[in-house]
Amino acid sequence: MNSVPASTEPAASRLAATASWDAEADDALVCLAVRDETHDVKTFVLAPSGPRLFAYAPGQFLAFAFEIGAETIHRCYTISSAPTRPHALSITVKRVPGGPVSNWLHDTLKPGDTVRALGPMGDFSCFTHPAQKYLLLSGGSGVTPMMAMARTFHDLGGNRDVAFVHSARSPADIVFRGELETMARLDPAFRFHAVCEADAPDEAWAGPKGRLTLETLSAAVPDLPEREVFVCGPKPYMDAVRAMLREAGFDMARHHEESFDFGALPEAEQQAAAEAGRTLDAESSAEAEAAPAAVRTFRVEFAKTRRVLDCPEDSTVLDAARKAGIRLPSSCAKGLCGTCKSKVTKGTVSMTHAGGIRQREIDAGMALLCCSKPTSDLVVER
Amino acid sequence: MLDVTPTPLQRLLRERRPGYSLPAPFYLSPEIFEADMEVIFGRHWIYVGVEPDVPEAGDVMVVDVGKASVAIVRDDDDEIRAFHNVCRHRGARLVHEEKSTVGNLVCRYHSWTYDLTGNLIHAEHMGPDFKRGCHGLKPVHIRSLEGLLFICLADEPPADFDEMAARLGPYIAPHNVRNTKVAFQKDIIEPGNWKLTMENNRECYHCGANHPELTVPLFAYGFGFAPEEMDEHDRAEAERYGCLLKTRHGEWEAEGLPSREIDELDTMVTAFRTERLPLDGEGESHTIDTKAACRKLLGDLTNAKLGGLSVWTQPNSWHHFLGDHIVTFSVLPLDAERSLLRTKWLVHKDAVEGVDYDLANLISVWEATNDQDSELVGICQQGARSPAYEPGPYSPNTEMLVEKFCNWYVGRMAAHLGR
Repeated sequence: MNSVPASTEPAASRLAATASWDAEADDALVCLAVRDETHDVKTFVLAPSGPRLFAYAPGQFLAFAFEIGAETIHRCYTISSAPTRPHALSITVKRVPGGPVSNWLHDTLKPGDTVRALGPMGDFSCFTHPAQKYLLLSGGSGVTPMMAMARTFHDLGGNRDVAFVHSARSPADIVFRGELETMARLDPAFRFHAVCEADAPDEAWAGPKGRLTLETLSAAVPDLPEREVFVCGPKPYMDAVRAMLREAGFDMARHHEESFDFGALPEAEQQAAAEAGRTLDAESSAEAEAAPAAVRTFRVEFAKTRRVLDCPEDSTVLDAARKAGIRLPSSCAKGLCGTCKSKVTKGTVSMTHAGGIRQREIDAGMALLCCSKPTSDLVVER
Repeated sequence: MLDVTPTPLQRLLRERRPGYSLPAPFYLSPEIFEADMEVIFGRHWIYVGVEPDVPEAGDVMVVDVGKASVAIVRDDDDEIRAFHNVCRHRGARLVHEEKSTVGNLVCRYHSWTYDLTGNLIHAEHMGPDFKRGCHGLKPVHIRSLEGLLFICLADEPPADFDEMAARLGPYIAPHNVRNTKVAFQKDIIEPGNWKLTMENNRECYHCGANHPELTVPLFAYGFGFAPEEMDEHDRAEAERYGCLLKTRHGEWEAEGLPSREIDELDTMVTAFRTERLPLDGEGESHTIDTKAACRKLLGDLTNAKLGGLSVWTQPNSWHHFLGDHIVTFSVLPLDAERSLLRTKWLVHKDAVEGVDYDLANLISVWEATNDQDSELVGICQQGARSPAYEPGPYSPNTEMLVEKFCNWYVGRMAAHLGR
């Protein structure tokens, strides 16, 4: 007998799924788990509410519409899981200072919550460029599409020759480090190299140090010219890699960068993807674009929750926090109710309140964040 | 005509024997406790604190009287107001700390916001038909008698507060309560019915045996004695006190300090008594050395040797106004067998602790006395539970004020319930 024993375990019903998830029919995904990858990176495991299978190519992304506060914010996130495990998928998100969505995901999204998503989309995938040998290059959170590809090859076996070179700030910032090292140990055809800019507080980095150079890259992957190359990371990183490959005389037709394929998206999602920007570092660039150069911005640090955001001088701290996805207690938003009253331990604000705070409280360093604009960098006890 | 069967409480009130302590149910019964809270604490002026409890605009003090919680605030015009501490939205308790400072009164539940005059000024999501004007905080009557705060939870408070204020005010005014600060507050839960706490306060029969600290400054004889039983020493002491009282009253009144006794403890609805009493020793204060505890005297007083002005109000307070400080007491019933005794020590608002006064010295006499009284109340409560308890006779010489307290209580209950 080779049939599966009957099971009442709810997870089993997911495995029994036969139909594929269709975002057009049901765009709601339920968060099943939240996992800490590093100190500022979390993985969110998502699945449809009913048993459905995900079908996608490793490297593809989903376009999400997150309901944050009263707003709907669109963001694209690459799928970090492998389509070889189709019953759930995951996105892996780094907390971006001031990022409205990443902070909201980190601080708010929990198992049982629902998000809306469309997709999968994009053609940045090893599947669209079949090759005997691959080189996956990633910097920072650009690791996610590479991880999806690496996991897929690993799950499928077949001794595919894959070299994975990842650049991180420090050993503590290497996302999926344990899993990548395990894959390398189990599969001789898979090699993993990390390059770190600095030591971590509790680990001196023994591997290649600094930024990725052609020298480091060539040392790690001597057969570089024979490989199909996939690159994802912050723009400076991708620019540097491009320059390196050109310098090495690499055939740039076999160089592929992460870029969203706008044409493949429905119009609304084109807009969303455009807003999200070209790279996964979308949030910080979106923030940077939101602030015109003429307006000064001040750094606002929330001491208890250890979050930081940039607040333009013409914005209230509450508004800036809302835009950054940071929830602060508030209600009237006009200086009346005092719900947002907070202690400003460093820095100064200009405040026009409507009776929600006493002069004595102001003298004691309190401020209503709903009607306070920064006049210097701030540290807020929140 | 058909006779109407009285309730057990009505019968107990009717059968109360004057000159004797109350029947046990008055100290034990949860039903009578409920009636006490409704009639006595729900319809009379209750002493709850002092203006310096809310010294500045935006200051809030919460006082719980039975099931009612009252927020006392000083508004932006410096007026003191009191409100039921209940949000008009879904009834959540508005203010949670005993003392706080606010811009407006804001319910933490849904941020309904009231200004300090009780108007609802912010309520989100209530739609266009919602009338804020109909959802202001419910006011509670509050009066300040020269800085002493009294509230009344009834719709129609007793009208004779003004008479009390007119007669008692001049006694208290020289001590200028409004210009003081609360140097220390102590809450103790006495293990007894609130009436036992009050009865204990209304006599000094027990002082000689129980209050070694208090009887240093205080003449126990100031509260009555039976001369025929006294030995030579005691008689000499009583005579000395009698002379002192007469002389000092003359002196004080000449200085513009009303001092002679007024006793309306069972003759008014808003009942009170007052008298300025000479103190022993240095004659300055309720301290263990009878000297002033605070170098900065109250108000415009220049002489500390003013004895102590004692004030009693029914149903729940007593006060001692000294030249250098004030000790003020309020009793707030918790249940049939437990009562909160809240004591505040006030000094001149500019007096600096450690410089002008030593806190331990300031509070030591009454801290010790309160603890002793609390134990005495506890043993009375235990006794009232015994099947052997029966009302006992009050001393006609030293327990007249206890009798007046009980008379007032029985009279007020009967006035509302019928005998």
